[in-house]
Amino acid sequence: MVEDLRGEPCRPSILVVDDEPRIREGCRIVLSEQGFDVELAAEGKSGLKMIEERHFDVVLVDLMLPALSGLDVLERIRARHPDTVVIVITGYATVEHSIKAMKNGAFDFIPKPFTPEQLRIVVAKALEHNRALADIAETRSRLRVMVNRLMDGVMTTDSNKKIVLANPAFLHMMGYHGKGVIGQKADEIIENKTMLDLIDKALELPASSGSEITAQLEENGGDERIFTARCAPFRSRTGLTMGTITVLNDITALKKMDKMKSDFVSMVSHEIRSPMTSVMAQLKVILDGLAGDVTGKQKEILERACQRIHSLTCLVSELLDLARIESGLISQEKQTVDMAQILREQVLLHSETAKAKNIELTLEIVQDLPKILASRQSMEEIISNLVTNAIKYTPDGGKVVVSADVENEYLKMDVSDTGFGIPIDELDSIFTRFYRVKNQQTRNIIGTGLGLSIVKSLVQAHYGSISVKSRPGAGSIFTVRLPLAHT
Amino acid sequence: MSKDKLILVVDDDADLVESMSMKLESLNYRVAKAYDGVEAWDRIKEERPELIILDVMMPRKDGYQLCDEIKKSDEYKDIVVILLTAVADNVRTTNYTHHSGKTTFADDYIPKPIDLDELMDIVKSNLQ
Repeated sequence: MVEDLRGEPCRPSILVVDDEPRIREGCRIVLSEQGFDVELAAEGKSGLKMIEERHFDVVLVDLMLPALSGLDVLERIRARHPDTVVIVITGYATVEHSIKAMKNGAFDFIPKPFTPEQLRIVVAKALEHNRALADIAETRSRLRVMVNRLMDGVMTTDSNKKIVLANPAFLHMMGYHGKGVIGQKADEIIENKTMLDLIDKALELPASSGSEITAQLEENGGDERIFTARCAPFRSRTGLTMGTITVLNDITALKKMDKMKSDFVSMVSHEIRSPMTSVMAQLKVILDGLAGDVTGKQKEILERACQRIHSLTCLVSELLDLARIESGLISQEKQTVDMAQILREQVLLHSETAKAKNIELTLEIVQDLPKILASRQSMEEIISNLVTNAIKYTPDGGKVVVSADVENEYLKMDVSDTGFGIPIDELDSIFTRFYRVKNQQTRNIIGTGLGLSIVKSLVQAHYGSISVKSRPGAGSIFTVRLPLAHT
Repeated sequence: MSKDKLILVVDDDADLVESMSMKLESLNYRVAKAYDGVEAWDRIKEERPELIILDVMMPRKDGYQLCDEIKKSDEYKDIVVILLTAVADNVRTTNYTHHSGKTTFADDYIPKPIDLDELMDIVKSNLQ
């Protein structure tokens, strides 16, 4: 139902222009019964006058009118009242006239003589069409207001990178304060190279991938701003790439806070680490008997003190690592690395610890594992953490298997164990900082609760993902996926 | 055998210098001490040690800078330098890039918190 300005439904209004009184009257009776507001005109001129005075949703007009013809009336209505739907009544049902009327913008035609049922159907169809048009117009205007009011920057381009829409927030973020941008090429408006690359890449994404590309942008418009940009191609129903949609978020404040936090953690860590180093060395000097004889009991106590301080220093080291990873320093040190070699080294490195617990640690790598672009140190840290955990949380005599394979565009590494497993309700929490699974089996296992969150941060810094599957009592599988290097 | 070898220990943490010295002396090394980079230069000139255990973060002149100066001087470049790094970040080899973007060539390094026994092994192997 069409709504009026107050948003309330109003009766559709219909004008019938025909010189035959019988037809006019017939239409009035049939359409009034439908609850429509019906007006009548005997010829073109008076009909047009009525149209000037008020809005009609549908006009039924006879093609054969004295003086002003039906086609003339149609033309005038189309020119000045585009929201009005015109249906022509053809007195002599020739195809030719009907086609001409349709070509000139009539919505439909109805040949004389017609039954009340035919009339009802054709009018209902016209009203339906009207309502759909109104819906589209309304949705468009609502969308426009919404997009323009967003604090996030939004831009859409067509497949030729011409701008279809760019909201004020977007233009402001890109530092553009010129004239209208609709229809211009994106590279004429945007200077930021990362942004332009993003659009190019989004357009090249294969139709099968439903994904988007993200990047971090920096703009130097007086004060430095940092944005995340997400760019996704959008497709027609047949899967053809029609253009791109980009959304920008200003994350400057977030970044600043993050930096402050990292600086704080680094500072605190360093201030803690230095005195602890000193204390450790002092204890060691006493333990070694360099400061006089030590009794057996004293030695025992000092050794325990050493252990406690050692685990404290480990905690500090990990905090420092996390601060460093989160400050984004890692991502800049990428090089081509041979994961197969790193995996072999890591497994060798941990074989002693595994042997001590009588755990069988094995490695399964497919042949010709491709190299990836990554920070070698980060990769070592990821594997080392996962393998250490697997050994720690697997009872004596168990098995730990490290494997690597290629899956789609990713290098997939699994570290699986036959350990205690992780309770289902805790699976979501294990990557959270300082979180540790605490129960009878794990009570005596020493750890900081930072290992997995470090691993997760490192994996994410490499645009990868980590997931875990586990069954309490049976074991866990940690899976890391890292994008392959494109050469 | 190691009786005559002089080792300079440089750290702004006096307690740590003391502990390291006691351990070194117990292994019959002679020890000189300094508590910042500038003081360390004076000791180097006066006593000409064979090996320096050098902390990185110090007041007045940091360890990176001092190490740089030692390795660039014709007279002292043969002195073995072992860096003590509080932040074991990108230290994987003995030449690495520090804050000001310069590359420092130390002979060896040991990350803090140090294990005194480990430090002694490093000293020993570098003096052979």
